[in-house]
Amino acid sequence: MINELGCEVAVQEFFAYLDRALAGEAVHELEEHLRSCLECCDRLAFTRRLDWFVRYRLREIAMPDGLEERIRRTLGRAPVE
Amino acid sequence: VTGTTDPVATRRDTIRQAFEALALPHLPHLYTLAARLVASGGDAEDLVHDTYVKGLAGFPALRDPASIRGWLCRILGRLAVDRHRRRSPEIAAGDLLAIDRFSLYDLIAQADADPRPRSGNPHQDFLEQFPDHEVRAALLRLPDLFRIPLVLLYVQDMSYRELADALGCPVGTVMSRLHRARKILEGELWECARRRGLVRRADR
Repeated sequence: MINELGCEVAVQEFFAYLDRALAGEAVHELEEHLRSCLECCDRLAFTRRLDWFVRYRLREIAMPDGLEERIRRTLGRAPVE
Repeated sequence: VTGTTDPVATRRDTIRQAFEALALPHLPHLYTLAARLVASGGDAEDLVHDTYVKGLAGFPALRDPASIRGWLCRILGRLAVDRHRRRSPEIAAGDLLAIDRFSLYDLIAQADADPRPRSGNPHQDFLEQFPDHEVRAALLRLPDLFRIPLVLLYVQDMSYRELADALGCPVGTVMSRLHRARKILEGELWECARRRGLVRRADR
């Protein structure tokens, strides 16, 4: 039996849905809910936009000078087993 | 003995060279991950340095050299958790409830109109007003307990299962920490926008 999902439950599942951690029936139920709830579609769109907004700001940054050299020096002395 | 044909020393050199050749190209990525995980640049350097030392020690047991980047990131994640676990203050149960219920979407919808509207969509306008450094600063204000899984998700794109392995906790705990991490971050962004006068809370 498929339970009809309420907005409150749907919203709780957005993060797992965006992280591809929701599976099977749970995805189906959430997507069914989204088909008939514009408010939740808006909320999900904002949640997704916010996620990518933060992700984009964490992209690669310059390494400090000397870090690779420091690591190479230690690796030259470190034991290997 | 100073001979050059010591088979043990030769094997060690071979392992070390193979490790350096495979692992060092990922240094910029690992440094980025470390710098997002911990607030101080010095701590980030130490974290990466120690990840490589630990990585070399475990390298002979690594079955799939092609997976070395993810493997090193998991080592780094575990080291970050071990080091910073003690620094996370407890959050009171009442505060957790408020965190769980926080909705940046609702607050933006209820706020007074943006004095400088751009797109006609207040939610979109809200995000576009933030310079990069303020977003990163907001993230660094998150308690380690919540920031570490969120950064590993965002920078390394780890699955919940991989996060659970790296953090040494059940998948359910990962889910709840990621949920709260995002909610706390939403709160930090909202407070930051208020401080800068970008939004005003509407009268209720």
